Amino acid sequence: MLLSSCTSSASGRYFGQVTVPKDNVLRYITGSEPESLDPQFVTGQPEARIMVALYDGLVEYHPKTMEPIPAIAESWETSSDGTEYLFHLRSNAKFSNGDPITAKDFVFSFRRGLSPELASRNANLAYYIKYSEAYNADQSFVKDANGQFLLLKDFSESEGVGAETHDTLGAATEFHKFLDSPQRLTVPSDEKERNKLTEKDPKLKAALQGKEFVAVKAEDIGVEAVDDHTVRIKLYQPAPFFIGLLCHQFFRVLHQPSIEKFGKAWLKPENIVTSGAFKISLYKPYDVLTVVKDPMYWDAANVKLAGIEFYPLDEQTTMQNLYKAGKVDATYNHTVPAAWNETIRQYTAEYSLHPEVANEYYSLSVKKPPMDNIKVRQAFSLAVDRDALAQFRKTVKPLLDFTPEGIFPKYDAARNKVFSEELGKIGSSMDEWKKRKFDAEKARKLLGEAGFPVQAAGSGWSCPTFPVDKVSITYNTAESNQRVAEFIQAQWKQNIGITVPLKNMEFKTFLPYRSAVEYQGVVRNGWVGDYMDPFTFLNLFYSPQNDGATGWWDPKYDKMLDDANKETDETKRLEMLAKAEFYVMQQQIVIPLATQGTSWMKKPYVKGMYPNPGTLHAWKFVYIEPDQSKWTSNMESIMTDNDPSVVTQLDQLMASQEQMKQQKANEQAAPKTTAE
Amino acid sequence: MLNFIIRRLLIIIPMALLVVTLTWTLVRIAPGNFYSTERKLPPAVEANIKKKYGLDRPWYEQYGIMMWNIVRLDFGDSVRYQGQSVNEIIRRHLPYSATIGLLAYLVALVVGLAAGIIAALKQNSFWDYGSMALAMLGLSVPNFVLGPILVLAFALGLYIFPPARWGGPLSLVLPVVTLSAIYAAYIARLTRAGMLEVMRSDYIRTARAKGLDETTVLLKHGLRGGIIPVVSFTGPALAALLAGTVVVERVFSIPGLGNIFIQSVLNRDEPLILGIVAFLSILIMIFNLIVDISYGFLDPRIRYE
Amino acid sequence: MAENTEFVKGASLWRDAWRRLLKNKLAVFGLVVMVFMVILVIVGPPILRLTMGFTADYIPADGELIKSFPPSLEHPMGTDEAGRDLFARVLQGGRISLMVGVISTIVSLIVGVSYGATAAYLGGRIDNVMMRIVDIIYAIPYILIVIVLLSVFGGPNTPSWIRSMAETFGGVGNQGLAQIFLLFFALGLVSWLTMARVVRGQVLSLKNQEFVLAARATGVSTPGIIFRHLVPNALGPVIVYATLTVPSVMLTEAFLSYLGLGVQAPYASWGSLASDGVKNIAIFPWQLIFPGVTMALTLFSLNFLGDGLRDALDPQTRKF
Repeated sequence: MLLSSCTSSASGRYFGQVTVPKDNVLRYITGSEPESLDPQFVTGQPEARIMVALYDGLVEYHPKTMEPIPAIAESWETSSDGTEYLFHLRSNAKFSNGDPITAKDFVFSFRRGLSPELASRNANLAYYIKYSEAYNADQSFVKDANGQFLLLKDFSESEGVGAETHDTLGAATEFHKFLDSPQRLTVPSDEKERNKLTEKDPKLKAALQGKEFVAVKAEDIGVEAVDDHTVRIKLYQPAPFFIGLLCHQFFRVLHQPSIEKFGKAWLKPENIVTSGAFKISLYKPYDVLTVVKDPMYWDAANVKLAGIEFYPLDEQTTMQNLYKAGKVDATYNHTVPAAWNETIRQYTAEYSLHPEVANEYYSLSVKKPPMDNIKVRQAFSLAVDRDALAQFRKTVKPLLDFTPEGIFPKYDAARNKVFSEELGKIGSSMDEWKKRKFDAEKARKLLGEAGFPVQAAGSGWSCPTFPVDKVSITYNTAESNQRVAEFIQAQWKQNIGITVPLKNMEFKTFLPYRSAVEYQGVVRNGWVGDYMDPFTFLNLFYSPQNDGATGWWDPKYDKMLDDANKETDETKRLEMLAKAEFYVMQQQIVIPLATQGTSWMKKPYVKGMYPNPGTLHAWKFVYIEPDQSKWTSNMESIMTDNDPSVVTQLDQLMASQEQMKQQKANEQAAPKTTAE
Repeated sequence: MLNFIIRRLLIIIPMALLVVTLTWTLVRIAPGNFYSTERKLPPAVEANIKKKYGLDRPWYEQYGIMMWNIVRLDFGDSVRYQGQSVNEIIRRHLPYSATIGLLAYLVALVVGLAAGIIAALKQNSFWDYGSMALAMLGLSVPNFVLGPILVLAFALGLYIFPPARWGGPLSLVLPVVTLSAIYAAYIARLTRAGMLEVMRSDYIRTARAKGLDETTVLLKHGLRGGIIPVVSFTGPALAALLAGTVVVERVFSIPGLGNIFIQSVLNRDEPLILGIVAFLSILIMIFNLIVDISYGFLDPRIRYE
Repeated sequence: MAENTEFVKGASLWRDAWRRLLKNKLAVFGLVVMVFMVILVIVGPPILRLTMGFTADYIPADGELIKSFPPSLEHPMGTDEAGRDLFARVLQGGRISLMVGVISTIVSLIVGVSYGATAAYLGGRIDNVMMRIVDIIYAIPYILIVIVLLSVFGGPNTPSWIRSMAETFGGVGNQGLAQIFLLFFALGLVSWLTMARVVRGQVLSLKNQEFVLAARATGVSTPGIIFRHLVPNALGPVIVYATLTVPSVMLTEAFLSYLGLGVQAPYASWGSLASDGVKNIAIFPWQLIFPGVTMALTLFSLNFLGDGLRDALDPQTRKF
C-alpha cells in the first residue's frame, strides 16, 4: 500500500517531493546529536560527517573511493623503507579567520591530539607515529649515568625497531637525527605501573636499577615542521595505509591561538576557528547545525554549495517522512528500514545499495567450552544459510571471510589467488571453500564428530547432548540485531536441532561485556574500517589486547601481519595479507555473516555525492543541480558514471601529487644527484 | 496555612537531594560508561579518561564532591557533550518541552472541560455517550500510536503539517494534539463525574430552591465543585505529562528535555541525568504544592492546619 | 460506604453490587470481552500450534516466506517481517500484556494495601509520617527512576533472585523472562502510592467500628486485625482502583516498550508489537492495526468494567 502524494510534475518516479532548494543549501541528516565540534574528541560517524565539512587535513577523502587525495598537502613522498613521509603544503591555505595554515599548525594539532590531558579516544590511530604511544601513555625514556638511553631492541624480540638505512626526505635536522636513531626503550612514568612491569621481567628490572627516567614529551613525537610548508612524519614501523589514515578527522588541522586563548570555550560558535571548506554559522543542539561556505578556504572557488544544514536525527521513520515531504535532501547510511526496502528499491534514481567498508559477524568465545572445540565452531558457522540471511536482511551480501568483498578490488583479486593456492596445498579447492556459505549436512556431521550427535526428530533435528545452557547469542538491543539473532537462532534450530537462547542488553552495558569476552557462545560483532585498507579489518585480531572479542591470539598471525606491512610492493603486500586472513579463517574464531550495504537516499538534484564505502562525503564536491536533465537517473551505476564537473575538480586537485609521483619515477630511473 | 506552606517548601530541598542520591547510586551501579565506543580503548587512553573526569578517586570522594557542587547548584558539564554545562543544556531545552506540555494541557483542559460539562448536563444523551466513548478512545490508544497516525494522515497524506522537527507554529499542532489526547480524556471523565456528584448535593439543591437560574447554579456552584477533581488531577497529570512529552518528542524529533533525558540515560551522562532529575523533582514538588493550596481555596471544607 | 451494612461481611453487600453491575450494559460488555480475551490468550496459542503449527517465534525456513504478508485465510492477521504469524504473536502478546498488567497490579496491591492499612490503623504520628513519605515520594518524577532502573538492571545485571525466579519458569539463561519479572516490580512500584492512599482512607473510616473493638477485645493481634478484619472490608474501592490500574500499567509498559525498555525478545507484548508496527504503518498497516485494536479493545473493556464496579459498589454515584 503506497501513499499517493501530491507532487510536482517530475515526481512520478521519485519518492515524495522533489523541489530544488532555492538557496543552494543542502539539508542533510547526520545521525545522532554530535558530542562535540572537536575533531580529536569525537569518535562516531555522525560527527565525522560534520568534521569533514569544518576541518581540512593533509589529505582528503576521494568522493568515490575514499582514498587519500591532496588537500592542504599538495604532494607527498615516502621513504624507501616506508617509515618516513614528507608532505609539501600549499602556501595559500588559511583558517576561517584568515590566519595562514603552516606546518607548525599540523605539529601542534598532532601533539594536542596525543596529549594525555585531552584523553582522546582516537589517540591510538596515531600510535604508528614514533614515540606517540609513549607520550600518550605517560611513559619515560631511561637514561643511564653516561647520558645514554636504553634501547628497545635490547629488551624486545620484535625486529626492525630501529631505523634501517634509507634515504632522508627533506632537510637533515637535529631532531630528525634523534628520530632516525634506534628506538629508545620506554617504560611507564608512574612507579607503581613500572613495578608491575618489572615484576614479570627480571632482566628489565635489573637494567632499570639506578637509572634516570626522562618523561616523553610532546616534542619527542615523530612529527616535525621542517619549514613553514613542509611536514615530516616518522613512524616506528612501516604502515603502508598510513596516508589513508590521515584523512581521518583526528589528523585535521586546528587553530592553536584560539585553543590556547579560550581553553574549553574554544568550541563555542562565537570563538571557534576552523580550517575546512565550511564554517559554522548556527548551532542549535538537537535541532540543527548550519555551516556556510568559508571564503577564506584555499579551494573556495571550487566549493559549490552555499551552505549545509545538518539535522541530528536517528529515528528511521521520521527520516523517511522528512525525506518524503521534501524537508531534507539526503540521508546517511542504513537509514532505509528493512521493511521499506522492497518499496524504496524501485526508486533507482535515489536509493543506493553499495558495499561498505563494514562487516557483520559473530565472535565466538573460543576459550570456553563447548566453543573451544573447532569442530563445534565450524558446525555452527556452516549451519547458517547466508544467502537466506542476505535475503532476509535485504541490504547485505553474504560474506564467507572477514574482509568485506567488493570494496578493495585489488585485494579481492589477491585474496582469490592466495586462497586458491593455500587451499591447493591442503588438498582442497575454492569450490570447497565457497561451500562454507551453507552446508547443514556437514555441520551435523562435525557436531557428531565433536561428541554431540544430531538426530532426526519429527520433521527436524535435535541434539540432546549439546550443553545449551553454556551458549547464547548475545547482542545489543537494536531492531536489526534482534532480527538477525532470531533468524540465526531459527537457522540453528532448523539445521542442527539446537535452540540457542537469546540474550540482549543495552548498548553501554553490552560493550564492556563483549570486549572482556564475558559472553558464552556467540556475540554480535561488526567492524567499520578506519581507512581504506584490508589491514583495518585484519588488525582486529592482532596482539593479545585485540578487539576481536574472542579471546584468541596468535603470535604467528601477528608476525604475518607485521611482515606484510613491511612489504613495499603493493601486490605482494596484499597477497601476504590474504595469507594472514586465510590463516585466521582456518581457526574459525568468528562466524562471518555479511558485508554491509549502504542503504541511503538522496534527491536526484544532489550531485557529487557518491555511495562510497564509508558514506563520508567530502562536501566540497557536492552540489545542487537545478537543471532536471542533468539529475541523477540511476544510483546503481553512479560509481562508474562520470560527472564532468567532479572529474575536472578531482583532476585539478590530484595534479600536484601526480606530478610528484612522476618526478619520483624519473628519479628512480635516473642516477641520484643530491638528496633534496 | 502559612505554616503548612513553609513546611512543604523546606522539605523540597532535602527531598531533591535524596532523589539525586538515589539516581546517582543507580547510575553508578549501571554497567557501561559514557566514554565507551564500539572499539576497545587502549588501556593508556582509558587511564587518561579516568584521570580527566576524576573517576580514579574512591567512590565516596566522588559522591562528596558531586553533592557539594550540587548544593551550590553546580551540576557541572555534560560528560557526553563537551563544553556544555548541564544548567545551560536544561535552560536551552526546557522551553521546547514546556511549550508543548503547557499547550497540550491547555488544550486538554479546554476540550476536556467542555466535553465533561456537556456530558454532565445532557446526561445519558447522545452527547454524553458520544463524548465518553471518545474519551475512552483517548485513554486506550497509546500516544506513540496516535502520533504516527496523525502524521500519516495530515503530514504525509495531505502535506499540511510538517512530519517532524520544530519550526514555526504549524509544527506544533500535531505534537500538541497527540500529547493532549489522553489528558483531555481524563479531564472529560473527571469533570463529568465531579459535576454529577456535586449537582446532587445539598448546597446545589439549596441554590436551586433559592430560585437561581440554571446557568448561575451551574457556573457559580456546580462547576467549582466539579473542578476539584480536575485540580487534584493536575499533580499526577504533570508527572504523567513528563512521560508523555518524552514519547511525543521522540516521535516528532523535538529537542525537548524529555528526549534529552532519555539520551542522557542511554549515554550514561551522569551530570546531565542528575541535573534533569533534580530539576524536574523540584518542579513537580512545587506544582503539587500550588495544587494543594488552590485546593483549599476551591473547597472551603478543606482546611490545612 | 453505606454504614449499616458494611461490617456484615459477605453475601448481601456483594450480591447487591453484582446485581447493579449486571444492569450496567457497558460494564457487562467490558466483562464479557475481558473473559473472552483471557480465555483466548490462554487456550489460543496451544490450539494454534496444534492446528496450524504457528507459534509466536516460528520463523519459516523458506526464504520466500520471510516477508510481511497481508491478512489472508492462512494468516488472519498477516505476518510480520520475519514471516511470523501475527495472530500467534498477538495472542502471546496478550498473555504477556495481561500478565504484566495483572501481576504488577497485584504487586502494587500487596505493597499499597499493607502500607495504607497499617498507617491508618496505627494512626497518629506513625500515620502522619508514613503518609508524609507517600506524599513526598509522589512528587518524584517516577517515570525517570523507572527508566534508569530498567536501563540499569536489564541485561546481565538483573538481580539474581529475579533471575532464579525466571529460570524456574522459563528455563535457564532466559533473559527475556527475567526482564519481564523485573517489569512486574518496576511497574508495580509506580502505582502503589495511590493504592496506599485509597486503602488508608477506607481503613480510617472503618477502624472505629464496633467489630474492630470486638476483635481487639478478644485479643486478636494487630496484624491480625489489619489483615483479617479491616482489609477485607475495605476492598470495595481497592477493587475498583485495581481494575483501573491494570490498563494504566499496560499503557506504561507500552510506553516503555517504545523506548526499548519494556518486554524484550523473544517475548512480545501488545505494546512492543504496536511500537514495532507503528514504524511500518505506511507500508504494512496490519502490523499496527491488529495489536493496536486488540489492545485498545482490552483497555476499553477494563475501563468500562472499572467504571461499572465503581458505580456498583458505591451507590451514591448511581445515575438517576
